[in-house]
Amino acid sequence: MTKSADREDIPPGTLEILILTTLGRADELHGFEIAEAIRERSGDVLYVEEGSLYPALQRLLVKGWIADTWDRTPENRRARYYRLTALGRKHLERELQRYQRVSRAIALVLLAV
Amino acid sequence: MTLGGLWRRLRFTIGRRRFDADLDDEMRLHLELRAERLRRAGVAGVEADRATRRQFGSVTLALERSRDAGTFASLGTLRQDVRYALRTLRTTPGFTLGAVLVLMLGIGANTMMFSLVNATMLRPLPLPDPDRLMTVWTTRVEDPSVFGITSLPNYRDWQARNHVFEDIALFDSAGRGYNLTSHGEPEQVPGVRVTATFFPVLGVQPMLGRTFLAEEEEPGRDRVVVLSYGLWVRRYAADAAIVGRTIRVDGEPYTVVGVMPPDFFFQFWSLPRQLWVPAGWTRGDRERNSNSFLSIARLKRGATVADARSEMDVIGRALAAEHPTTNAGLTVRVMPIAEYVRQSVRMPLFALLGVVGFVLLIACVNVANLMLARGATRGREFAVRRALGAGRRRLVAQLLMESVVLGSMGGACGLVLALLSSRLLGAMLPGDAMLVPMRSLDAIGVDTTVLLFTLGVSVMSGVLFGLAPALSACRQDVSHPMKLDARSLSGGRGRLRFGLLACEVALTLVVLAGAGVMIVSVARLLGVEPGLDPHNVLVMQMSLPQENLYYGPPAHPRFCANLDDRVGAVPGVVSVSAIAHLPLSGAGAGRAVTIEGRPDPGLKRQAGAAYSVVCPNVLRTFGIALLAGREFTERDTLEAPGVVLVNEALAKRSWPNEGAVGKRLKLGPFNSPEPWLTVVGVFRNARLNALDVDVRPTVFRPYNQAAWPTMSIVTKTATAPAAFAPMVKRALADIEPNQPVSGVRTMEEVVDHSVGGRRLSMQILTGFAVLALVLAVVGIAGVVAYSVAQRTSEIGIRIALGAQAVDVMRLVLGESISWSLLGVGAGVVASLGLLRFLRGMLYAVSPTDPTVLVAVSVLLVVVSVAASYVPARRAIQVDPVSALRRDDS
Repeated sequence: MTKSADREDIPPGTLEILILTTLGRADELHGFEIAEAIRERSGDVLYVEEGSLYPALQRLLVKGWIADTWDRTPENRRARYYRLTALGRKHLERELQRYQRVSRAIALVLLAV
Repeated sequence: MTLGGLWRRLRFTIGRRRFDADLDDEMRLHLELRAERLRRAGVAGVEADRATRRQFGSVTLALERSRDAGTFASLGTLRQDVRYALRTLRTTPGFTLGAVLVLMLGIGANTMMFSLVNATMLRPLPLPDPDRLMTVWTTRVEDPSVFGITSLPNYRDWQARNHVFEDIALFDSAGRGYNLTSHGEPEQVPGVRVTATFFPVLGVQPMLGRTFLAEEEEPGRDRVVVLSYGLWVRRYAADAAIVGRTIRVDGEPYTVVGVMPPDFFFQFWSLPRQLWVPAGWTRGDRERNSNSFLSIARLKRGATVADARSEMDVIGRALAAEHPTTNAGLTVRVMPIAEYVRQSVRMPLFALLGVVGFVLLIACVNVANLMLARGATRGREFAVRRALGAGRRRLVAQLLMESVVLGSMGGACGLVLALLSSRLLGAMLPGDAMLVPMRSLDAIGVDTTVLLFTLGVSVMSGVLFGLAPALSACRQDVSHPMKLDARSLSGGRGRLRFGLLACEVALTLVVLAGAGVMIVSVARLLGVEPGLDPHNVLVMQMSLPQENLYYGPPAHPRFCANLDDRVGAVPGVVSVSAIAHLPLSGAGAGRAVTIEGRPDPGLKRQAGAAYSVVCPNVLRTFGIALLAGREFTERDTLEAPGVVLVNEALAKRSWPNEGAVGKRLKLGPFNSPEPWLTVVGVFRNARLNALDVDVRPTVFRPYNQAAWPTMSIVTKTATAPAAFAPMVKRALADIEPNQPVSGVRTMEEVVDHSVGGRRLSMQILTGFAVLALVLAVVGIAGVVAYSVAQRTSEIGIRIALGAQAVDVMRLVLGESISWSLLGVGAGVVASLGLLRFLRGMLYAVSPTDPTVLVAVSVLLVVVSVAASYVPARRAIQVDPVSALRRDDS
């Protein structure tokens, strides 16, 4: 899988918020579904490598923002499903506000040029 | 990190194995799903698999990183380090065994001493709420360090006037043997009379029945008894129906009202008590100056020790003002029982603990040396690992882990050693050396505190002996050891090793000097002329119960005469007598003394004297010289004039320039109504209290004029006294059929026993000193041998260039001797500073006795030369050709 020109790495620090947002929209997703959801939603621009996805999930678990359960996929395969916790939802809201504020500010600066 | 985060992190760390498996599953699923998607997208099966597989490297990395994100990274490496350390230690079994052995001795000795300290001083007393238990003493306003006993009237006033105590209890300071004659063989059992408040103040409930009622303190109602669990099981076959039954105590019928639980242990100033009886106040007890009771009290909840101190001081001073004849100059002192227990430990445990700490330091130095030697051979390993990117800090941490693992192994073995030896120690302890109030001798052992101590000491010594070698191993340049043999770069490290050698010598010197002064002290103590002849003297105790406990008149007026008639008639008995306070047994009593015809000295300057009660012939039996006058005889009865024997010290103090015989004194203050007593004889000063206590002015009274409830029967025999025990006991059984004897010993055993505490300290210290010396010899020999091995090529070159054996010897020995001398110097300085902590346990020798210091220094120099000689001999046998070739290879 060579890297194509239209694919972007996820900027550092934003992966966690992407995961949280993705989980916030769905009920429960396993790792692959999360990666796929991000890819699809970004219009095939953002690819999440498992090398960063699972450590990020692990960090979110430790912080208590997401919770996990082992369950079966529709194809009856064992998978670990993640969902947002109340704590995570609160954090997500805070982060989204912050993100919007910052991105609006950046846009202002860029437009001013 | 929040608490929740900490918990989650901990959970991941602990469930590591499961967690790894989970992550594995998760990844596999991810890869499979991705391969499927690729296949669906039209990529050929093989290509899809390959594309997926190409990702595999990053999966492993992902696994590692996920794991790190979820756990304590350092905990993970910790586990790795421990595993690595164990593996490395396994590869050098000789080194590991040696180090563990040395550490086992060091840590084991420390654990043993600490378990002793713990059992006697640290562990909370086995009573409910021991912090609120206080000892209450009579003391002097001018000298508040006095721990004085008190009397019933004072106690009643304390009880009525204080507001700080829930209650106060009183018990007989001496206690005595009570004769049990029903339910089996007659037997004497240690017991004590107590107030009804005694058990409630201690906070203990009986296991069966009840304890005493207040009205049972009065004579007539006092024929009740509470048994200890041990006595109940042993003598009454654990019969629960014994409660309410009558047993014979001193020939009288007593009703058993209660049995105490098995964990109740009571000893205070004497051996553990096995039965308790109500006080049964006698006429004598009701006198305010009849001080024969110890007092304990329980603080009210919320009251502080300071409250109790100040209030009791006020009460004490008020009583002194109200009762000047008896209480002038006196007040009351309150001390928490735990504090009193601590200060009454006779063995200088903390000093011994300090010394044993030094032994551990020596052991650590030895192991550090071993590790240095090993570190040198591992130089290449470290250099390679550093070249591969291992951080210095990481390497040091890992080496430290190795030494901590080593320390822990040593600690575990040491714990086993301590467990085994504490039993031995328990058996070795002389009764009175460890006669600590409220502490059971059997309680020495390993509990959580001891375990934590051992763990702490093990880890700490691991760090201690590991740090220098670890730092030194990592200090060296990365490139050098890869090119050169480790032997070639010895300079700096050699100095470190010899520095450790000097430390070792210094530490050993301190321990040796400590043991040295102890040995001198005990030798001088045993060399003290006691003033009595303990040879061929048999002693045994007998109770002679009487109404007025400590003031006569005798309930057995024929006792002394019968002794002479019956025991004196046993063939081989030279003479027989009896004394209330057996010399050198620690027993003693005191009385105020007033000399006839002298002005009133005032209560504050009242003279006193040691006091005892004796039968005729006591001086002859003990071999104490009679200097003037006569001994007591059978004619000194109640009807005859009151008489006393005094020792030289009292005679000289009272009548410095004239003969004492015929003079009169009374045993009480100036205004007391005591009768005048005539001095009939003066005897030579003898150390009656203890060998290390100076002779006090002493007064003896005849048994038939002022009897005592417990007498020690002393029999001088023509041959070995122990053989006479059965015959003497049979004769005594004829005289007093209801009074069994106890404590049958020879007087020589008593003398020996009286130095028991010091002797034990000396033996322990000597043991430690021998251990230290052995460790030092091993350490010195090791350092020198290693240094010779490292310098083989240098020595080879010297020999090739014409150096003689003497030169080589001088080279090798010179180095170790100069470092040893440095160590000796440091050790002497340290001894001068540290050994004064031993002062309390020394007799007639300074803790920094110059002779001892010089002797020990010489010994250490000789030992270090001897220890260096063996490896030095190897140096002169170096074959220059092979030595040089070895370096080339």
